[in-house]
Amino acid sequence: MSKQANLNNDEWADLTAYLDGELDSNSARSLEARLNRDPAVRAEALALQKTWEMLDYLPQPGPSTTFTSRTLERISVLRPAAVRPRESGLRYPWSFGIGWAAAVLLAGSVGFTGVALLAPRPGGHSHLAQTDPAVLERQLVQDLRVIENKRLYEQVESIEFLKELADEDFFGDDG
Amino acid sequence: MGAIGETSTQLAIRDPDTRLMIGVRDDEPGAFEELVARYQGRLVGVMHHLVGNAEEAEDLAQEVFLRVYRARKKYRARAKFSTWLFTIANNLALNALRARQRKPAVRFDTRDSGPLGARPAEQLLAASSGSQPIRRIQQNELSDVIRRALDALNERQRLAVVLNKFEDMNYAEIAEVMGLTVKGVKSPLCRARMNLRDALKDYVFMDGRPIPKAADE
Repeated sequence: MSKQANLNNDEWADLTAYLDGELDSNSARSLEARLNRDPAVRAEALALQKTWEMLDYLPQPGPSTTFTSRTLERISVLRPAAVRPRESGLRYPWSFGIGWAAAVLLAGSVGFTGVALLAPRPGGHSHLAQTDPAVLERQLVQDLRVIENKRLYEQVESIEFLKELADEDFFGDDG
Repeated sequence: MGAIGETSTQLAIRDPDTRLMIGVRDDEPGAFEELVARYQGRLVGVMHHLVGNAEEAEDLAQEVFLRVYRARKKYRARAKFSTWLFTIANNLALNALRARQRKPAVRFDTRDSGPLGARPAEQLLAASSGSQPIRRIQQNELSDVIRRALDALNERQRLAVVLNKFEDMNYAEIAEVMGLTVKGVKSPLCRARMNLRDALKDYVFMDGRPIPKAADE
């Protein structure tokens, strides 16, 4: 490998890091000073930069037209079957109604228990949220907009003031 | 979970793709389909750059999506989703490349008809059907030269280059994907860039700009 400029391995690594915008500001200033006074280092930097830009000539291959469908088809085998179509009619037609009633009862009790355990309560998080990272993540996704604007909300004295700001008539009609 | 864990989770959740993956984990309808739609192009592109073969790149990208789906219940939002995805992709690509080294086979790229690239007759055919034939042949030749230069890099160097150049990842993200320190990423990237410069030196200044004179030349 030809090294025209007099650089050691660390300096070469710093030069490429500089070109990638990954050098800290002090080291970058020092390297810029060297680039200004040393044409050999400058020539190397330019050659490295131009070589890097040449990679843009590589074609950017994309997926074939059938890729999505083939992938989702393979995934569908792994998916738990939510509803399996029945080949024939119901063997016991009366069982359909009883089944539905049982399902509604079960869903109601599961829903009530779930809400009681998982729903965020004023003044604190649920017990599960503190122990289960998956539940915590779900809560964070739900509350993301509030979290992101927390600093702004802290500056506001009351929620009524925010509502007034959102009122179209507050600043008059400029249309 | 401690304060640091919560902070990294909160940071990760700002990433829309991380939120999408949480939807996949929780079996939200359509979430996985959207994830595939968002990432298939990037994933196939990166795999193609790594293994140099369109068909194998698609197979590997598909395998990555399968592994994401199988592992979805274990997913935790600790980093950007793309970092997690490309870590899986990296492991698969490395396994594929190592398996190929153990069982060397003659590989014909769809663009290359022979070991020296497209045959003259095929070049003529391409030239006769194009609107700018000469320019197209030059571009094809150039991309083949660059392809060979990229293939000549070792696995670590090639992966670092592909993630940095085509995925626009910074050193910290590359380090996480490759299981290295940030300092450990500088070395393969630097060696890769120097190797590419040496391999492509005859082509670098072909846009008419003069080759800069080094002081010690």
